Amino acid sequence: MSRWSKFLIALILGALAGLFYGWVVNPVEYVDIAPKSLRVDYKTDYVLMIAEAYQVDHDMGIAVRRLARLGSTAPKEIVADALNYALQHEYASQDLSLFQRLSEDLTTWNPNQEVPTP
Amino acid sequence: MKQERRGSWYLLTALVLGAGMGLVYSWVVSPVKYVDAPPYALRADYKDDYRALVASAFIYSNDLERAQDRLAELKDDETYQTITLLAQRAQADGRPDQERRALNALSLALGRGVTPVAPGLITTSEATSLPTNSLFTSTPLLIEPTANPTITLETTVMPLSMIRTQRPPGTTGSTPTPGAAFVVRETRLVCNTNQPQPLIQVELLDAAGQPVPSVELVVTWEGGEDHFFTGLQPELGLGYADFTMQPDVVYSIRPAAGGQSVGALTAAECTSEDNSRYWGSWYLTFVQP
Repeated sequence: MSRWSKFLIALILGALAGLFYGWVVNPVEYVDIAPKSLRVDYKTDYVLMIAEAYQVDHDMGIAVRRLARLGSTAPKEIVADALNYALQHEYASQDLSLFQRLSEDLTTWNPNQEVPTP
Repeated sequence: MKQERRGSWYLLTALVLGAGMGLVYSWVVSPVKYVDAPPYALRADYKDDYRALVASAFIYSNDLERAQDRLAELKDDETYQTITLLAQRAQADGRPDQERRALNALSLALGRGVTPVAPGLITTSEATSLPTNSLFTSTPLLIEPTANPTITLETTVMPLSMIRTQRPPGTTGSTPTPGAAFVVRETRLVCNTNQPQPLIQVELLDAAGQPVPSVELVVTWEGGEDHFFTGLQPELGLGYADFTMQPDVVYSIRPAAGGQSVGALTAAECTSEDNSRYWGSWYLTFVQP
């Protein structure tokens, strides 16, 4: 085996060892993540909490600001995704209706009508 | 001989180079992406938002177990204390009024392990149909205001530890019963050099002398009003609450659901033995007769 072949094999072995260490043994840790990086079931529960809180305060402005933490996609899409997940995983009917009510109110919500808060 | 040694070194060099390249790739170019992160990995401010959201949702569902399950995902060492601290600094953090009240209600519920129905928070038809079989009833206290109390000025020097009863969270306190009006039993000025700020300290007791938590108190002054609850500092007593006064402002205080009111409370000074002056605190005891 030529010297270059041995060099390449050693290089590859070293790279594999580095990848193993960096991805498995000591991967980058994200300890300060944003809600948009939450796992889908946690995200769905986050949206459910927003829907529950909305039923108390009926403040769509606050609900939309909370939904915005879950990503830059349209709030209605975020709620729709959550509703889909909830349907697939057979959430309780009360919870499903909360998603639906929030989704419906989002459809008719006009942000321009909201009174700006100081 | 010379050639063999060279061979060993270049292999080692290749291994190190390869490992370095692997690390650069795995840590910088394509690090592990946490797209399925749990709530405990949230940044501190997002964790606070999460807690406030749990509290707001709790006001709707009245489901303490669910709220506790959600909070458990944050893996806090002391969930109750974390929520209580967040409730206490909610105003300074500029949180909406609803969130502040929700955090207060959740803090109380966690402290007692029961689900209160926070008055004034439930506004929807769905919410008003929630069950009210908890220790806290949604029925307001039926209290008729009575005449203004006589304020007796009594300067008492006592250590703070004597004033503040040590009670662990979760210990059973009394629940206000409908129709039992709180009346003022005692109003006294407490001089304590360890308490630099002038406070209105309130203690609510039931007819049996047991502290009564979760009672909303209203403090008013010219051009302002604030609300606070007993029991938010359970280490100081489940019936205890306090409010920091500003000098030269005249306050009056009463239980929010009615009852006797104490007025003309202003920050008063005390004098120590070396003639230095410091703020005293008003200590009010309300009781159910």
